[in-house]
Amino acid sequence: MKSTAKRNRVRVYLALVLILLAGFLLSSIYIVGAAPAYQSTEEGKLIFESQCISCHTIGGGRLVGPDLNGIADRRETDWILRFIIEPDRMIAEGDADAAALLAEYNNLAMPNLNLTQTQAEAVFAYISSQSGAGQAQAQPVALPEGNTQRGLSLFVGEMGFENDGVACVACHTVGRVSAYGGGSLGPDLTHVYERYGEAGLASSLGGLPFPTMQGIYRDHPLSPQEQADLLAFFSWSDAQATEIPADQFTTTFWIWGLAGAAALFLIMAIFWMRQRHSISETLRSTS
Amino acid sequence: MNVRAHISMLFHLDKCIGCHTCSVACKNLWTDRKGAEYMWWNNVETRPGTGYPTQWENQDHYQGGWKRMKNGLQLRIHSRTKGILKLFFNPALPDLEDYYDPFTFRYEDLFNSPAGDDQPTAIPISMITEKPIDIETGPNWDDDLGGSTIYAENDPNLKDVPQEVREQLGELERLVFNYLPRICNHCLNPSCVAACPSEAIYKRGEDGVVLVNENKCRAWRMCVAACPYKKVYYNWSSGKSEKCILCFPRLESGQAPACAHSCVGRIRYMGVLLYDADRIPDAADVDDENLVAAQREIILNPFDPEVIAAAKANGIDDGWIESAQNSPAYKFVKEWELALPLRPEFRTMVMMYYIPPLSPVVSVIEKDLVKLDLSEEMHDFEVFHRLEAARLPTEYLASLFSGGNVEIIRKVLRKMLAVRVYMRRKSVEGEVDQVALDALEKAELTEAEAEAIYKLTTIPTLDERFVLPPYHREMSIEAEGMDPLAHKGETGVGYLQVPMRGE
Repeated sequence: MKSTAKRNRVRVYLALVLILLAGFLLSSIYIVGAAPAYQSTEEGKLIFESQCISCHTIGGGRLVGPDLNGIADRRETDWILRFIIEPDRMIAEGDADAAALLAEYNNLAMPNLNLTQTQAEAVFAYISSQSGAGQAQAQPVALPEGNTQRGLSLFVGEMGFENDGVACVACHTVGRVSAYGGGSLGPDLTHVYERYGEAGLASSLGGLPFPTMQGIYRDHPLSPQEQADLLAFFSWSDAQATEIPADQFTTTFWIWGLAGAAALFLIMAIFWMRQRHSISETLRSTS
Repeated sequence: MNVRAHISMLFHLDKCIGCHTCSVACKNLWTDRKGAEYMWWNNVETRPGTGYPTQWENQDHYQGGWKRMKNGLQLRIHSRTKGILKLFFNPALPDLEDYYDPFTFRYEDLFNSPAGDDQPTAIPISMITEKPIDIETGPNWDDDLGGSTIYAENDPNLKDVPQEVREQLGELERLVFNYLPRICNHCLNPSCVAACPSEAIYKRGEDGVVLVNENKCRAWRMCVAACPYKKVYYNWSSGKSEKCILCFPRLESGQAPACAHSCVGRIRYMGVLLYDADRIPDAADVDDENLVAAQREIILNPFDPEVIAAAKANGIDDGWIESAQNSPAYKFVKEWELALPLRPEFRTMVMMYYIPPLSPVVSVIEKDLVKLDLSEEMHDFEVFHRLEAARLPTEYLASLFSGGNVEIIRKVLRKMLAVRVYMRRKSVEGEVDQVALDALEKAELTEAEAEAIYKLTTIPTLDERFVLPPYHREMSIEAEGMDPLAHKGETGVGYLQVPMRGE
């Protein structure tokens, strides 16, 4: 008798827990569903200041990319949203306006920032709200005097970045910066100074807004002095160096690689002759 | 005088029949494990032959043992400085080919093969890779000089034998071989202990057994290279070195080691020897010819009151001293000077001793008949009578057992022959004549000694062959705070710690 009562009580508890759980799940679905599709301008501000501000201003004049003041009046909302989300595809598809913009801005295509529809809407909302106010632009940090030689050292990694960032040479190359050139993952930076202009480049070095670089340098930003040094270096390279296509290094690499392998095999051959043979095998093979 | 006790084994080679029972007993007890398949802590070699591993005595190749330098002995494998520099480069190791690729046969093929025109066969497979192999060699591939002549011809001990005699050894009517059972020699001056960079090998204080502490072993394998007898083996599975432990768990419970206990020919004797540890460095650092004498010199007389007092001062108890007094090892090694160390010129001062074998006289071919080379004036038939006509050259035995000193071998063989002649006269012909007495005198033996040698050689009881000292393990248990009665009848006391690879 006693055990039956106990079992019943357990069942009641179980049912209660189940109902509570179900209720919690349902309410969470409702909350998610009821969330407004339109993000607040607060989120838009965050995104703009972290990802757009290196190249764009709102009422601050053109930088690397166009001034976005009053953009909503100049273009259609759908076009703007799509360009924020996938500029690369629009250019590739040959959108006339996009192509014109590309030509106007030194053929520097806006990178795909991997923003969602909601995020793009938030950014757009922020830009619209700020249009006319003329506040949102990168506050130009007064950079100290740059040193070309130090910039070169930083670029090739002879000198480490203060915040442990990866040396530029891992992904980029500049002229004949090292025997086999630099990395070829990122673009050749020999004439980046010319392409971005001094203000644009300085602003880019500050935030490094490119999608690939963002993850790498988020926790390792460049210090003002380093930015200035690199800027000086890029200015020098733009004037002095010439771009060298990556495949020109391939032949050198093969020659040295094969020569090294041959040398190693030669050393091995010397020791191969002198290797120890087991007595047992020697006895059997010589008799 | 620093008196210590050592438990020693004697091999009476004249009695060995080469049945390998010792090897099998040892294998079943200790090395029937993964990674130990190729190891034979006890093996029996046919001599002349190359042994196991192949030509283990060839120290130009294996770099084992000690060499004499201006300021004392030095390991042949490397000096101290070189040892550190070459810590990660240790090439003087035997190849698996030099041991052998351990094999078994795929017996299930005999039952599972599909029906066919031929009888199914069990093909040989490697015990390491478990893949089919061609068996090329084994630990006793040249057993009884079978198979091929290359092994006998390449015995390193034939180096000092005149070329003419070497050629004769290959002739069918002059063929001769003897057996050489080998275990770890538990040396007084062990080069494996000296070479170990991890200090994992040690010589036990109470009885001199050389052991590997597998918890300290770090697989440098310097011991494998440094041991001139190649009796330290590397277990490829556990990553630790292993060697003969002289069956110490059996010794501690009063039994002879498995190899000795199972010996069919009853060739093995065991007993305690007392020695002077302070004189080891000097005794190991003399000319090759004097090594045997020097080693005999440091073995002490257990009846000498001075030795007994010094032994007691060193903590050797009465039971061990009494055991040393009854020891067959003492009688054969020191009293009768019949037992000799194996290859003493490696200077590790081995504590296992061998009584060299006698061999029949050579035969000659006369009128197309094979005839024993006996002189005309010999009236009584004694095949073993003349040393100079013995089939096993004395130079050969000298290379094995006396560092090249032929005189020592002649002396031993003369004694053994004298005992034979004397006892033959006495027990077969019933009368001791002048010939027998002359033989004894020439061998520097008395009639009583001859009688004693005969008795211990031919009709010893188990207790006379194995005079094992009392280890008093019950006392050690008590010292550990355990109840000895709770462990009565158990073999071995301690904690089983399974060693981990790389630790």
